[in-house]
Amino acid sequence: MNQPLAGYAPAPVTARMENHGSHMLKVAMQTGNDLLARVGSMVAYEGFIQYEPNPPAVRQIARDWITGEGAPLMKCSGDGLLYLADYGANVVVINLNGDGISVNATNLLAFDAHLQWGVERVKGLAKFAGQGLWNTKISGQGWVALTSRGKPIVVDCGGGEDETYVDPDALVAWSPNLKVKGKRSFKAQSLIGRGSGEAYQMAFSGQGIVVVQPSEDSTDRLRIRG
Amino acid sequence: MAREFQRGHKARISDLTAGTDLYVGVQISAPGLTFDISCFGLDADERLSDDRYFIFFNQPKSPEESIQLLGAQAGDTESFRVTLDRIPSQIRKLAFTATIDGAGQMSQISPGYVRIVAGGEEVARYSFNGSEFSTERAVMLGDLYFKDVWRFAAVGQGFDGGLEALLKNFGGEVLEEEAPAAPQQPQGGAAPGFAPPAFGVPAAPAPTPAPAPAPAPAVQPAAQGFAPPPGATPPPAPNVHAAPTVIAPLAPPAGGTVHPPAPAPAPYGQPPQQPSYGGQPGAPMPPGYGQQPPYGQVPGQQAAPYGVPQGAPQGGAGVTAALQAFKETPTGQRWTQQNKKLIRVDLGIGGQPVLARQGSMVLYQGKVDFSYKGAGFAGRLVGSATGQEMQLMRCTGNGQVFLAENSTHLHPVELQGDAICVSAENVLAFDESLQYEVRRIEGHGIPGGALFTMQFQGTGTIVVKTHGTPVVLPVTPTTFADCNAVVAWSAASQVIVSSQVRMRRNAYPGDTGESVNLQFRGAPGNFIVVQPYEV
Repeated sequence: MNQPLAGYAPAPVTARMENHGSHMLKVAMQTGNDLLARVGSMVAYEGFIQYEPNPPAVRQIARDWITGEGAPLMKCSGDGLLYLADYGANVVVINLNGDGISVNATNLLAFDAHLQWGVERVKGLAKFAGQGLWNTKISGQGWVALTSRGKPIVVDCGGGEDETYVDPDALVAWSPNLKVKGKRSFKAQSLIGRGSGEAYQMAFSGQGIVVVQPSEDSTDRLRIRG
Repeated sequence: MAREFQRGHKARISDLTAGTDLYVGVQISAPGLTFDISCFGLDADERLSDDRYFIFFNQPKSPEESIQLLGAQAGDTESFRVTLDRIPSQIRKLAFTATIDGAGQMSQISPGYVRIVAGGEEVARYSFNGSEFSTERAVMLGDLYFKDVWRFAAVGQGFDGGLEALLKNFGGEVLEEEAPAAPQQPQGGAAPGFAPPAFGVPAAPAPTPAPAPAPAPAVQPAAQGFAPPPGATPPPAPNVHAAPTVIAPLAPPAGGTVHPPAPAPAPYGQPPQQPSYGGQPGAPMPPGYGQQPPYGQVPGQQAAPYGVPQGAPQGGAGVTAALQAFKETPTGQRWTQQNKKLIRVDLGIGGQPVLARQGSMVLYQGKVDFSYKGAGFAGRLVGSATGQEMQLMRCTGNGQVFLAENSTHLHPVELQGDAICVSAENVLAFDESLQYEVRRIEGHGIPGGALFTMQFQGTGTIVVKTHGTPVVLPVTPTTFADCNAVVAWSAASQVIVSSQVRMRRNAYPGDTGESVNLQFRGAPGNFIVVQPYEV
């Protein structure tokens, strides 16, 4: 009966975080090596794993999120295998090796609790509705998993004079050493309903990469579910 | 994403997947023919020195169950499960072969493939078809072989004889007259470091074409654990022809490990294996684990080792290495598909503006200006009347623009003077050099009286978006499509509305819901594109 499903059994663990297929994340949990994950992202687990939503440490760091932005996190601890997913979004696993990455809050799936992380307000941007204002900057030695609606693309900013402009709705992550600016392609035409549909972009310059998803649907599906 | 192999391609398994638990599926078929698909476990000299590693319909698994025949499933004619790290060290190559049972030749086969699935994902696929072969009756499809590490090679080599010739080629012997399958040698070569010269006695389990009684596919205890200690005198090799068909080990368990009673086939066909907690029964368990089989798994199923490796992944550590797979593909052309759902247009090449759906830009580099593209007064009048209205923006300047929308699949279509009909909501972007107009399809039974579509004509590229992977059908005398699911068609084909008019439909409730279909007619070479999504 189970024969046709045989190909979907999990592969043996070779790293702390791995993809199972392209849309599911498999984390090998160990006592003393906790994980912070998006609330509601767990789809399955094997073993003894405990979940603590919004632990005090997170509350301290992420107090700004109370203002309405950002993503609630839960602390997962224990031994076992943990499977995470976000409504069929692609999962990208990154092994940080002393470097860092700045992730849009809705695109963050999980990361090692021992990493240095903090919620930061993106500098140089005025507040605009519902998007990318608060970012999670993660650095250190460990593992991070991001989600992306569709297979993402990584663009090298190149460090030239040309800036790279990104639709904030499609932005997933970027190197924290990039300079960020807001750019308003706002013309008088837009006022009479003749805008190009691209009113606001974020401009990146410097040495580093930008990760972009092929979708502009940036609503937080995990949050909508509650 | 499965990697496509061509004949002769080789790759390390570790480059394809981190797993060692592989599912190998073979699809091969031909009208009126049946195939025997088998796996030869060969030694370093490419000989079948141990016939228990000839996995075929009569012997569905190897002694320690590292190679198992699973049968037809999921579109595969035959499938195997291979657990690489449990294959004994003398087996260095697994050759997957297909032979025709009866008369026939390989040139008759339909397109088929060998594929490897691991960790829930197809990681490799080697496709072949009958044109690559001629009168052969067997074909060696692909090899999993060990050279420093396990590797996969797409072979695709035909073989003139049938299964017997293939078996002789690998050094096996066919014992035609042995109707009952020869008993298996209990003290076989699976014990490492203990290889009695018993192989001098050829005891091929007679793969006679006539289905012999299967050599007892009972679960054999794993051979490694039961090997007699080295140095012990091996029991005298029983006379192959006189020995009873027993497969129980003669030597008592040496290592002191106690297997659970032979389990019923575990889900997913996993072979029985010791829980890999390293602890033998009686050894102190880590606190909290209790004495029950760990984590409520099916007894005998392999428990994942939670001893978490913390090292860097194979590709190297760091953000750049992790994201290497998603790098931008290099430039060169005006339109470049980055992946299925993202396309890049280089405005500098060709030097003409691009019209794109409003809001579809996700990223741009360089000096690009986005402006509103009005349809004009007449265009708006037509647009609002027909529903074929596009909210467009004009991208001008010098730079690269990345376009995507809502994770839909994108398909660049290059027009060279020909024309294509696309419904307006499936257009993502197109070169400004293309002309477009609204076309009307009349027919009875359509809500609103007529269907409208956009026809694009000229020289340039248009990007069509579909929800999901579309199907492209050639236009034949009987090609029909749902008017909600059809995305595009070549403009040279003629469209007829075929509504199923039945008295019953109008007389009773219970519509099939498939009332308005479009029929396409045209010369060969025309096509239609249908998406798996009804707007």
